[in-house]
Amino acid sequence: MAVQSDSGGKDDVKTQFVTREGTYRLMTLSEYSRPNRVGYTSGSGSTHVRVSLVSLPPGAAPGSDGPASEDRICFNHGKELYVYVYRGVKKAADLTKPVDKKMYKGTNPTCHDFNTVTMTAESVSLVIGFSTGQIQLIDPIKKELSKLYNEERLIDKTRVTCIKWVPGSSNLFIAAHASGQLYVYNEELTCGTTAPHYQLFKHGDGYSIHTCRTKSTRNPLYRWVIGAEGSCINEFAFSPCGTNLAVVSQDGFLRCFHYDTMELIGRARSYFGGFLCVCWSPDGKYVVVGGEDDLVTVWSFSERRVVARGQGHRSWVSVVAFDPYVVSFSDPDTEDTQEDKSESAQCYRLGSVSQDTQLCLWDLTEDVLKPPVRARASAHLSPNSQNFSPNGVPGKIPPKCAKSNKIGHKHAELSATNAAGEPSGAKPKTKANNVSTLNISVGKAKEESGLGVNFTQRLAALSFGERKSDHRRNFSLTKTTEKSATNTVALRGKSAGAPSDNCDPVKLIGTPSCPRFDECPVLEPLVCKKIAHERLTALLFRSEYFITACADGCVNTWSRPARPVSGTRRERGELTD
Amino acid sequence: MSICQDLGLNFQQRMGATASQLEKDIGSEQFPPNEHYFGLVNFGNTCYSNSVLQALYFCRPFREKVLEYKAKNKRTKETLLTCLADLFYSIATQKKKVGSIAPKKFIARLRKEKEEFDNYMQQDAHEFLNFLINHINEIILAERNQSTLKLQKTAGSGESVTCNGTVPQSSEPTWVHEIFQGTLTSETRCLNCETVSSKDEHFFDLQVDVDQNTSITHCLKCFSDTETLCNDNKFKCDNCSSYQEAQKRMRVKKLPLILALHLKRFKYMEQYNRHIKVSHRVVFPLELRLFNTSDDAVNPDRLYDLVAVVVHCGSGPNRGHYISIVKSHGFWLLFDDDMVDKIDASAIEDFYGLTSDIQKSSETGYILFYQSREASC
Repeated sequence: MAVQSDSGGKDDVKTQFVTREGTYRLMTLSEYSRPNRVGYTSGSGSTHVRVSLVSLPPGAAPGSDGPASEDRICFNHGKELYVYVYRGVKKAADLTKPVDKKMYKGTNPTCHDFNTVTMTAESVSLVIGFSTGQIQLIDPIKKELSKLYNEERLIDKTRVTCIKWVPGSSNLFIAAHASGQLYVYNEELTCGTTAPHYQLFKHGDGYSIHTCRTKSTRNPLYRWVIGAEGSCINEFAFSPCGTNLAVVSQDGFLRCFHYDTMELIGRARSYFGGFLCVCWSPDGKYVVVGGEDDLVTVWSFSERRVVARGQGHRSWVSVVAFDPYVVSFSDPDTEDTQEDKSESAQCYRLGSVSQDTQLCLWDLTEDVLKPPVRARASAHLSPNSQNFSPNGVPGKIPPKCAKSNKIGHKHAELSATNAAGEPSGAKPKTKANNVSTLNISVGKAKEESGLGVNFTQRLAALSFGERKSDHRRNFSLTKTTEKSATNTVALRGKSAGAPSDNCDPVKLIGTPSCPRFDECPVLEPLVCKKIAHERLTALLFRSEYFITACADGCVNTWSRPARPVSGTRRERGELTD
Repeated sequence: MSICQDLGLNFQQRMGATASQLEKDIGSEQFPPNEHYFGLVNFGNTCYSNSVLQALYFCRPFREKVLEYKAKNKRTKETLLTCLADLFYSIATQKKKVGSIAPKKFIARLRKEKEEFDNYMQQDAHEFLNFLINHINEIILAERNQSTLKLQKTAGSGESVTCNGTVPQSSEPTWVHEIFQGTLTSETRCLNCETVSSKDEHFFDLQVDVDQNTSITHCLKCFSDTETLCNDNKFKCDNCSSYQEAQKRMRVKKLPLILALHLKRFKYMEQYNRHIKVSHRVVFPLELRLFNTSDDAVNPDRLYDLVAVVVHCGSGPNRGHYISIVKSHGFWLLFDDDMVDKIDASAIEDFYGLTSDIQKSSETGYILFYQSREASC
């Protein structure tokens, strides 16, 4: 595993790439797919291949020839669903012996999730959603369990778009549908033989929650109707602490709810188009979404505002995921000591994959994320300010990382070397983008980026500068913060749920939910690599590797850089436990 | 009460024989009042025209202006515009809600107006759109000019109205300008003296190159990428009074009410000596904002909704078929010559294109019509 800097690959598809931590490599032997793969078939239909991964508790192995690994991987492709023993990066995938394999007729599995609460060494519950609305619960190991929900499609006829167990629950799961509705199921309850009659339980701005009006409790326990009528819910995600639920929809909204009280606590609007994917930072402070505007949008939970946008993908962003194992980078050799050390800084690593077949990695640094000085007041208005205990998620709280500016400088250096290393790469483009973002003339911007000025710093400084207010109408920061404050109050004050024009994207532009493009820092990806022939549909980070999947049904494993001898080791060790 | 019900039943039964699947799919309650979905009969390779006409019919501001023109101009000599107005009027005033109609007069006039279209060959839908929009605009300008000339004659040569045949565009935009015209500003920076000069030009549609596995947003960004003018293509700098290397980029300064985007899917390949279809998968969202606006853009925040798409089906420019999908009253319809079907919005993804070159034939979005949201209110 000697570190080489060349990034070779066939037909410009990268099989390795370098970041400042080192080289990530595609483990060609750890490719999971259907057992006998005939070429690669590119169906034009939507083949949203998703991956679920679970680490079973170590138990008495059923025999000496029992599986060597506790990890199980599940993925769907077309009409099929596979569960394999996942052998990580050290051992090649064995596709001849799937743990379980299902082939469905007239419907496609679309999403799935393992229950990590009830699992044992020899048993795990896997809940699966289907394109025609049904839900199945199976145990791929024991194989004796098989239950169906919404079997007669009396609850919802549309595609299940996302399905997940409620964090910490042994029997509750949530299924989101293309109809714009989200249902809470108890796996122990039946769905009844008639269509459910609902009664309003709670409603607020842009959503309502219903319960079933029956004598005996039945499924679904709750129905959440979210967003504009019939606008598909594309994904939802629980915060690491399990308290909050973030939901993204085709109507272009991220809505963040307090799950237990069912209150809407904040939202963001895409620049345009639907939001397709959502994830939380490991500490629950930020929600990141990706969508049809080709952007990665970072929303601050505490400030209830969009704090940054990442521009680098060439098409819709299908998955966003934080990498909790690379949270900071401190280089003891850096002699940069110009800023005060008292300020503790944090930095996050974010990954995203897109229909453009590219993987992007992003660094979210403190200098971008920190609130603008004048808007800071609004941050304290927020209710239940974070003191989350991040349990149950590999993330933990990222350790305080190096001072922001140091990272920024490193960053700038890095991109400079990149630009030099890649002749005619994407570099001129990103420069041009910067120009349009910053509203400075071509010549100026060129000079500045040529000098290697910390671009995030530049952006942070410039995007809230006075330049904007003189040519953009009605934009003033103070104004918008006031608005956000009143919004929050109104929302918390049990808003009557009047169909206000709060949801009109034309009116939302220029507000904290959807700043104008030049009002908000624009991030450039740390790396942006084409890693597949087909659009990418899954991205999962683990301590030793990360996993990607694409529409042709290939699930790939990428090994992380070899651990450095010193320096960052300490942090990595802390996190992986 | 019971009589009414009976009548209703009778009516439905009577219709049952001829009622199309479309009416059933939409449902009588959901069927929008005063809306008609009529297919257009094909007169031998006229699908290029049919598909564009349907798309334009469902660009509401355009339809309204054409119908307005029809109402105002009772007795004028036949032009392509009067033929178009008659066609739109005939669709809009049909008794039935669905059916098909033969655009006979329009096609006949079109064949008279432009030699290239006077045959039974397959034509390029974008060329047709371009011709139609420009031609209509010229007709309006000419008619306006005539009336001003008349006015001048009656009122004597009053104000300094230009009467040298062509009214300058800036004097007063026509409704075609108001709907389709946007402004591009091209900034050129001389690499010798660093002087930036800019020039504005108008457009009725933007023609963008397509890349594999990208979005229309990305294609538009590439459209505005900085290009370096060098070698044979140097820039004549006024400041330096000589040809110099320069950097140039084009950005949108004024965003049109209806943004028509032409995906350049027919590439000339020298080795084959013909045009080849580029079936690359290019996704287009139902909602769009532009990233490539200039700093002094008047309305950079404009939010657009996709209202119509002209789709090319087939393997090359001279073979294949054109259809269109349009949005009307919240649902999507597919117009394939005289056939009209309701489709699910999720079916739009079938028209993004192909991710591999294995298949020769494809059904791909070719012209996208985005309408500014303010306009639809």
